[in-house]
Amino acid sequence: MNSGAEAMVRARGLRKEYGKDESLVRAVDRVDLDVAPGESLAVMGPSGCGKSTLLHLLGGLDRATAGELWLAGRRIDQMSERGMAALRRDAVGFVFQAFHLMDELTAAENVELPVLLAGRSPRTARRRAAELLDQVGLTDRARHLPTQLSGGQRQRVAIARALANRPQVVLADEPTGNLDSEATLDVLRLFERLHEAGQTLVIVTHDARIAATADRLISMRDGAFIDETRLTGGTSGQLGALLNLDG
Amino acid sequence: MQQEVVLALLAKEPSHGYQLRARLRQALGPLGDAMNDGQVYVTLTRLEKAGLVTSERTAGMPDRPDRKAYALTARGQQRVAEWLAEVSWPKPDLAEFHLKLLAAAAAGLADPVAIIDAQRRELLRRLRDAQRAAMAEPDGSEAALLLEGVVLRLQADLRWLEACERSWTGRKVRL
Amino acid sequence: MLIGRLVGRDLRYRPSQAVLLLLAICAATTVLSLALDLHGVTQQPYQQTRTATRGPDVVAAFGPSALTMPHGPHGPLPGAAEAKLLAEEKALMSAPGVTGYSGPYPVASVIVRLGTVAAPLEAEGRREAPASLDQPKLIAGSWVRPDGIVLERTFAEALGARVGDRVSLDGRRYTVAGIAVTAASAPYPNLCFPPGGNCVFDLGMNCSGKPGTVLSCSAGGISGIPSDANIGLGWVTEPDARALASNAAPLAYLLNLKLKDPAAAPAFAAAHSNAQNNANLGPGSGGLTPWQSIAYNDGLLVQDEQQVLTPGAWLAGLLAIACVAVLAGGRMADQSRRVGLLKAVGGTPGLVGVVLMAENLALALLAAGLGLVAGWLAAPLITSPGAALVGAPGAPSMTAATVAEVVGVALVVALAATLAPAIRGARTSTVSALANAARPPRRRARLIAISRRLPVPLLLGVRLVARRPRRALLGAASVAVTMTGIVAVLTFHATADSRLGVSSALTNPVVTRDEQMLVVLTVALVALAVLNAIITAWATVLDTAGAAALARALGARRSHLTAAIAAAQLLPAIPGAILGVPLGLGLFAAANGGGAAATTIPSVAWLAPAVLATLIAVTGLTTIPAWAGARRPVTDVLAQET
Repeated sequence: MNSGAEAMVRARGLRKEYGKDESLVRAVDRVDLDVAPGESLAVMGPSGCGKSTLLHLLGGLDRATAGELWLAGRRIDQMSERGMAALRRDAVGFVFQAFHLMDELTAAENVELPVLLAGRSPRTARRRAAELLDQVGLTDRARHLPTQLSGGQRQRVAIARALANRPQVVLADEPTGNLDSEATLDVLRLFERLHEAGQTLVIVTHDARIAATADRLISMRDGAFIDETRLTGGTSGQLGALLNLDG
Repeated sequence: MQQEVVLALLAKEPSHGYQLRARLRQALGPLGDAMNDGQVYVTLTRLEKAGLVTSERTAGMPDRPDRKAYALTARGQQRVAEWLAEVSWPKPDLAEFHLKLLAAAAAGLADPVAIIDAQRRELLRRLRDAQRAAMAEPDGSEAALLLEGVVLRLQADLRWLEACERSWTGRKVRL
Repeated sequence: MLIGRLVGRDLRYRPSQAVLLLLAICAATTVLSLALDLHGVTQQPYQQTRTATRGPDVVAAFGPSALTMPHGPHGPLPGAAEAKLLAEEKALMSAPGVTGYSGPYPVASVIVRLGTVAAPLEAEGRREAPASLDQPKLIAGSWVRPDGIVLERTFAEALGARVGDRVSLDGRRYTVAGIAVTAASAPYPNLCFPPGGNCVFDLGMNCSGKPGTVLSCSAGGISGIPSDANIGLGWVTEPDARALASNAAPLAYLLNLKLKDPAAAPAFAAAHSNAQNNANLGPGSGGLTPWQSIAYNDGLLVQDEQQVLTPGAWLAGLLAIACVAVLAGGRMADQSRRVGLLKAVGGTPGLVGVVLMAENLALALLAAGLGLVAGWLAAPLITSPGAALVGAPGAPSMTAATVAEVVGVALVVALAATLAPAIRGARTSTVSALANAARPPRRRARLIAISRRLPVPLLLGVRLVARRPRRALLGAASVAVTMTGIVAVLTFHATADSRLGVSSALTNPVVTRDEQMLVVLTVALVALAVLNAIITAWATVLDTAGAAALARALGARRSHLTAAIAAAQLLPAIPGAILGVPLGLGLFAAANGGGAAATTIPSVAWLAPAVLATLIAVTGLTTIPAWAGARRPVTDVLAQET
C-alpha cells in the first residue's frame, strides 16, 4: 500500500522530550512514520521504549516537542487546544489498557458519551450506542455498570466507545494488557473484524498475538524505530511446517 | 508420523489404510493438509515389520496398502497401553537455536541479532497464520484446540526470542 | 514519636492544604474569641470606674416637677419649695445605712450646640474642689471653671467635641474644658434608660422604648433637635448651672449616697423611692437608682454587641466546619493509601484513625492559639471607642475559661469534620486501601438522563454534581450560611437606620460599635466563604481529575470542562443563596429579640445584588482552580488513574 493514497497518519522527525540537560529524557526520538488508510500497524518494544508516548502524540493527547505530524490530511502538531479536542472527538478513537470507562455510567451511556460531546441529539447518540454494542456483541449488557462487567467485556465497551464518532484512526494502547487469554481472543476477533472493514488501526502491544493480526509490525527501542516487518502473506500450505509430523 | 499414534488409532478396531488417513486428516484439520499421504503407509509397513500390527488383504481389493485392513497384535496393544500412560512431553528445540547464535558470533559468520530478527519474523508469520486458521474454525472443532496450542507455543517462543534479542544486543554494545 | 513524624512529613508534603485548614479554623476561632473576650468586658471596667471615681451606691434624683412653681423667677427655688426639698434630702442623707453623701447638685436641662449639631444635655453643677463621692475622672483637659463645661466621654465622642471647642448652652457661650467618665450614670446614649437611667431632663420630653433597646427620647418642639435625639451629660460650675435654669426648664437636683452595705443598694432604693414624686417625667427619670442598675445599663452596650457577635460566631463556626469537612474528605483519597500502608505494616485500626486525625487536631490547636491571640488583640478596638469606662483600653483579660472554650471549639470543629473520613479509613480493608480505591462515584440515573439534553458544559457539570451529591449539599449549605450572614448584616443596617433616624447628625456610639463589629464579622464570614469556595473547588477538581481527563481524551474542550466545574459549584449554590435570605432575616429577628415587628426587611435593591454577587463570586472563585486543573496534560492524569 503505497503512493497514490494519501497517508492516514504521517510523522516526520517527531520528538517528545522531558526535562533538560542531564535529566533530559527522549521519549520519542525523531520518528518518521506513514500509515496508509485501512492499514493495521503494530508497534512493539520493551517497557519504556516510548511506544505509548508515540501513540499519545498521534492521538492528540499530548503535544510533540518537535517534528511534524499529519492526521487524516490535517497538520496537527501546531493545532490549538480546541482543534485537538475536535480531533480527538471526531477523527481519533482511543482504546486504553485500563479501559477508562466512567464507573457511574452504564455501558450504553459510556458509548454514547463521545456522540453527545460532539453535539448530536440524545436520540442519535442512543441509536449509535445500540448499534455499536451490537457490533461488539454486548447488547444484553447495555445497561450494566462497568463494575458488573468482566475485563474483556469492559474493553469491548471501550472499543465500541472509540468507534462512536466513526473515527478515521483507531489507536489502541496495550488493549489486551489487562486481559486473560480468553478475553484477549474476543478483542483479537474484534480487531480483525475492524481491519477487514477497512478501519485504520495503530496498536501498541507486548502481545505477539495481537501484533500478528497487523499488516505491519514496527519494533521500537529508546524512542526510535529499529525494525519493520511486513506480516501479510502466508497461506495454510505453510501450516504443516508447524507440526513435527515426521519421525 | 509417530508410530504410536497410528497404533493408537487402531486400538478401537481394525481399519483400512484409507480410513486411518481420513481419521488423521479430520483430527489435524488444516494442519493435516500438508501431511504426506504416503507417510501413514510407510509407518504401517514398519509397524508390521516390527510385529505390532498385522495386515490382511481384503477380498476383491487390490494389494495396495491403503486397501489393506490392519489390526493390532497383542504386543501392539501392550505398546499402546504403555504409550498412553507415558508423560513425556516433546522437548522444544531451543538448544539448536541457542548454539546457532553462539557459533555465528564466535566465527563472525553472521550477526546474531539479525539471525534472531529473521527467526522472529518467521515465527510471527506462522503465528499469524495459525491464529487466522484458529479463528476460521467452527466452534467446537477438534482442530481449533490444537491450533490454540500452536499459537500459545509460538507466543512463548517469541517471548524467548525477544529476551534473546535484548541479551544479544546488550552483548553487542559491550563489545 | 511515630505519629508525630508521620504527621510532620505529611504536612510538609502538602503545605497548601495545611494552610487552608489553618485559615478556616482560625477565622472561626478569632470570631469566637472576640465574642468571649467582650463577654468578660462588662463587669470589670465598670468596677474600675467606680473605684477611680469613688462612685456612689445610690443616686437620688429630685425632679423639677416636685418643685414646680406656677409663677416665679428662674433658677433658685422659692423658699418653701426649697425647704421641702432640703427636708427630703436630709431624710435620705440620714437614713439608716447611709455612711456618706455628696451633693445635692443642681442640674439644668439645656440644649448644647456645637457648630451645626445640637443635642439635649443635662448640665450638672459642681464645685471646683473634688467631691468625696462621685468625682468624675478626667481623661482630657481640666475640671469645671466658669464658662467651662466638662463633657461625659461617650457624649463628647458622639458630639465630636474636643477640649477647647466652643459650644453654646441655650445660647450662652461655653468652652469645653475637659472630658471625663463617671460611674454615677450610664454612658450616653443610655442616660435615661431604665432601670439604670436617672436623667432628669425635662423639656416636655417624651421617652419611649423597650427594655433591651436604646431609648429614644423626643424633645417635642425644640428647633434644631431631631425628635429622636438622646440626652447627654456634662458638668459645669454650680453658679453656671443655676444660671442655666429657666422657667421652662427648672433646676433638678442629684444626690449621691454611700451605703454601709453596697450590695444592699437595690433594697435601699426600693424602700425609699416612693418618697419621690416624678410621675410626669417619663419612665426611669428621677427616683433612686442603685449602682447595680447603672452597671447593668452600662453592660447593655456590650450586650448589644454580644447579640451580634454570638450568632456571627456560630455562622463562622459552621462555615469553618464545612471548610474542614471538604478538606478532610478531599484528602481522604490521598490518605487511603497511607492508611493501607500503615495497616500493612501492622498498624491497628486505632492507630490509623489516630494518625489521620492527629494532623487535623494539631492544626486545630494551632488555629485555636492564633485565633485567641487575634481576638485578644482585636477586642480593645471594639470596646475602647465609645466605652466610657476606665481601664478598657487595656486588653480585656483572657480568662482560662475563654482559652478552654476556644480550644474546645476548634478541636470539636476539627473532630466533627474529620471523624467520618477517619472512621471510614480505619475500616477500609487493607487491600482496597493500598489499591487506592477511593470512594466510587454515585450514580444518579435521572440526572444523567436529564443531562443528555443539555449543552456540553452543563452536561458535564450536572454529571459532576451527580457524582458527589453530599459535597454538592455541603456546598449549598455553605453558601446558605454565608448568605445568612450577609442578609443579617443588611437587615441590621436597614433596621438600625429606620429606628435611630438616619437624619441624626449625632453618631450613636452603640450603632457605631455594632457596625464596627458587623464589619469584623462580615469580613470574617466573607473570608471563610471565600476559603470555602476555593477549598470545595479544589476538592472537586482533584476528585474529578480522572473523569475530566477522560472527557478531554474523548474530545471535550478544556474551556468546557472549566465551565462544567464552575457549573457544578454554581448549581447547588443557587438554592443555597436563595435559602439564605429568609434564614438571615430570621437570624436577625431571633438575635434582636424583638421579633419580626422590630425587623425592617432590607429592600430588594440590596438583597438582589447581594445574592447575585455571592453567586458570581462562587463561580469566579471556582474557575481558578478549575482552569489550573484543566491545564494538566491528559496523559499524566490518566496514568495516575489506573
